[in-house]
Amino acid sequence: MISLETLRQFARAAHAQLARTRDIGAFELYCSSADHLVARLNYTSDLPSRGLEECKSLNAAGFALRIVMRADPHQTGYAHVAGDFRSGALREALAAARAAVVRDPHFPGLPADPQPLAERRSDPAHDLLTASDQQVIDSAWAALSSAGTAFAKRTPLKLAHPGLIIGGDFSLIRDRVAIASSALPEVRTDENAYFSASVTALIEALDAKGTATAIGTSRSELERAQRLGRDAVLRALELRHGERPPAGDYRVVLGPQPIAEILNYMVMGSLTTGAFQTAGSAYTGRFGDTVMDARLTLSDDPLAAQGCVRRTITCEGLPARRTVLIDRGKLVGLLSNHYDLHRLLNDERRDEKLGPAAPAALNLQANSGYRLGDGAVRRFDGHPASVGTNVIMSATGGVSDRELIAAVRNGIYVGRVWYTYPINGQRAGDFTCTISGDSYVIRDGRLAAPLAPNCLRINAHIEQVFKAPLAVGRKSEPAIVWGAPEAYWVPALAITSLTLTSVNPA
Amino acid sequence: MRRFVATHRGALDAEMRFEVMLARSASAHDGDPRDSAVSETAAFGVKVTCGGTGGVTAEGFTGVEVGRLALRKGRLMVELEAALNEALRRARWNVRQKIAALKTLGTTAPALARALGVEPSNERATIPATFQRDPRDALGAEMQQLCREASSAIAGLGQDIVFNAVSALSELRHELFINSAGAAISQAFAYSQGDVYVVAQTADGHQETWDVIGDQRGFECLREGSRLELSAHPDLHSFALELAGETRALAAAPPLKPPDHEVVVVTDPHFNALVAHEIIGHPCEADRALKMEAAYAGRSWLLRSTRENQLGRPIGSPLLSACSDPTLDGYGHYLYDHEGTPARRTIHIEGGVFRGFINSRATAAALGVKPNGSARASEAWHLPLVRMSNTFFMPGASDPAAIVSEVERGYLVCGNNIPSIAESRENFRISARRVYEIDHGRIGRLYRAGSVLSDSKKFFTNIDAIGNDLRLFAIPNCGKGQPMQVKRMSNGGPTLRSRARLVGGDR
Repeated sequence: MISLETLRQFARAAHAQLARTRDIGAFELYCSSADHLVARLNYTSDLPSRGLEECKSLNAAGFALRIVMRADPHQTGYAHVAGDFRSGALREALAAARAAVVRDPHFPGLPADPQPLAERRSDPAHDLLTASDQQVIDSAWAALSSAGTAFAKRTPLKLAHPGLIIGGDFSLIRDRVAIASSALPEVRTDENAYFSASVTALIEALDAKGTATAIGTSRSELERAQRLGRDAVLRALELRHGERPPAGDYRVVLGPQPIAEILNYMVMGSLTTGAFQTAGSAYTGRFGDTVMDARLTLSDDPLAAQGCVRRTITCEGLPARRTVLIDRGKLVGLLSNHYDLHRLLNDERRDEKLGPAAPAALNLQANSGYRLGDGAVRRFDGHPASVGTNVIMSATGGVSDRELIAAVRNGIYVGRVWYTYPINGQRAGDFTCTISGDSYVIRDGRLAAPLAPNCLRINAHIEQVFKAPLAVGRKSEPAIVWGAPEAYWVPALAITSLTLTSVNPA
Repeated sequence: MRRFVATHRGALDAEMRFEVMLARSASAHDGDPRDSAVSETAAFGVKVTCGGTGGVTAEGFTGVEVGRLALRKGRLMVELEAALNEALRRARWNVRQKIAALKTLGTTAPALARALGVEPSNERATIPATFQRDPRDALGAEMQQLCREASSAIAGLGQDIVFNAVSALSELRHELFINSAGAAISQAFAYSQGDVYVVAQTADGHQETWDVIGDQRGFECLREGSRLELSAHPDLHSFALELAGETRALAAAPPLKPPDHEVVVVTDPHFNALVAHEIIGHPCEADRALKMEAAYAGRSWLLRSTRENQLGRPIGSPLLSACSDPTLDGYGHYLYDHEGTPARRTIHIEGGVFRGFINSRATAAALGVKPNGSARASEAWHLPLVRMSNTFFMPGASDPAAIVSEVERGYLVCGNNIPSIAESRENFRISARRVYEIDHGRIGRLYRAGSVLSDSKKFFTNIDAIGNDLRLFAIPNCGKGQPMQVKRMSNGGPTLRSRARLVGGDR
């Protein structure tokens, strides 16, 4: 990875050079260096496999330049350059940005923040920036060995063909950015590192599946994640030979992973200024309305103490701040980048898109403009999108897991869902997914039996989940959603009724 | 590569994929220009296979986006050498940890000890890209004008259009594959793609619609349209206006409220493209079948184990056949995959009987079959995965109009929207853009927010008519892998008639 100091020096030098360019009225330079290390697990007892299937890294560094022409503040051009931080590369980028100039009548100028920003000091406990690839490889193999050992010791039968599958990965994500802009008083920098680890254990002969996940910001947490293999196997063994209930309408508890998945695929994309401006939000026309239960509050916090996606500045150079999206059920905030914020505020159909409950003086801010690439690392070649960081759903009047299950009395505990998509488009709010593991049948207010993985499909609407839950969980638990840029901390919710259809084995 | 392997202890094989890419893009929202850009980059990925005691082998990989540094030969060689050494170090450490794990697990991990015996490619070839309008030409202003005019025309259709976005892209990509076995394959690809997104709102409801046109051609396919036999499409302007018209009609249509039982469904080629993608293509990927995707995108209903699977068994109507064919002229066309294996047609289903998977060299070795050239990465800095190419249901003999007119009561399902599939793709719910009632052979009322829900094998088995109207459609955004790789391909099929449940919209 390129050092923060190198990025900062390039940004400073570029700032000086661009400030001397006569026809440029304003400019923004975004530099990034990112490193994504992945050790991917793949063990299958009955088929040839390598154990660690992919042991790899992806490195990318570069810068993006946006210019605004002095002659017309709506004329703006953009270019990016990979791998080269020399003055010649800046000259090339400037020429390319000039060649790409368009006149966008809605261009609001560059994100501005006149106050100097205090530099963040790195927390010594967050030591993953200097972790080696060997530590990631060691953790992945240790997790695999712990899974194999746990299976050998704890499997109830000596199966000739157990169909044991151990999958998942240990991923270490590190990024550094430096931003220079004519609208900022200084070059601003940020760096972050975190890992996510996820292990899935399937035992096909027992029709069993269990998962275990961890996220963290330190080497010690990474080392502790070696237990995930064992945890996943033990959970799968606990869930063997699950029941296959018939299709129907059920009371359910949705655990933290399903809630995180539904939020990720169905809700977060709707809680952006861009979604409101394009009238593609599931909450179009309902800003200021009560859209969730009054016990629920949803926020995004890049500075959260427990958060692993820690950011002090956005990819537009603005201070990263907590954004309250849903306050005790009421839609009060949106994730936004600078452009989309102004596009919505100045939209001629703004009142119709926001709805009658929206306050006249909106307190929306561009707190969430991030440029992310594969694996949610900061990348120089993306345009700022409105993206969350650490998404936290908290609940008042929450109850324990035992009480949630008791509230359902007879139904299903859903611990993991899969392939949750807005089946009729984001705005419609309809979704469907299948229950893929970590789940139970609830009888007489208790977890009575495991639920067979992949035997039921949920067909529902987001209002059924969030508008009037039967009971809400007390504790917000961490949850990972595959491919999502955000990390989630969410409670379980007990739901009055969801329609479940059967999935029959082929 | 040969020298590296010869001079580094433990190294068995090494390979490199190098690519340079240039893309021009433009977009417009609601008739106003939004952006225009030229992107240039270069990247490589190197893989080293290492051997240890007892015949244990393991791999290490390093992917680097070098960008403009690729213009400096000396610097590029330094970066490449560093990456090879890093990949080798990872491979050695991986071998060491694998040997340790085998000691810990003893005989409980027999599959881990088995070497796959993968033979590297030694093919050599040079393949040019096909285009009339070179993506390297100064197309920016023309591309911007095309987007702006199309977006403006949509905005002018009426107040019921609340948002629209039109974008265009033209890209040239040059790839080089070399390895220590002597392979050297140079391939170039031109891609051009137009995307249209429209949101309409009426007093009766709302509708958001997105669709894409794309070819392995130059900008001409967006400016003038395409007359390719299997994937003809209009120019971007006409395509955008057609989609906007459809979106307006749907916003005024009621949501589907279907009966609570199985019905006759006639599905059109565009809808069937997504069925072919999700229910044929993905479960026919050998890495998925071999459980390598189990923690992410799931397994395959076609292979539970090497002893228990659907190979050679009926999984659908005798009318049904399906294949992947990268040699055809479609968005998923290529002649060599990213392991240097020549591309060829792979039959998945023949007369209703399941025949085989698309594979990589390693998964072919694991299954004891020949590699068929289906390992592809989205960029050189990613490792190749088993990927679809042009994957489709093969055509039948029936006239599509007759397939509809023979239905007494049923539904015509047109255009794909969004899929959701079960873990092994043994079940799916796929939403359509438009659903029409069929009453005594006549197409009736239009509905929005309808989807087809079925177990996969049952849907295939219930097929009783297949049209002669095969079409291929560009799929620009197929995600797979960790981290996610987004790949272009094409999928399609002819009109099909089967039985399934329909599900309507809640709002």
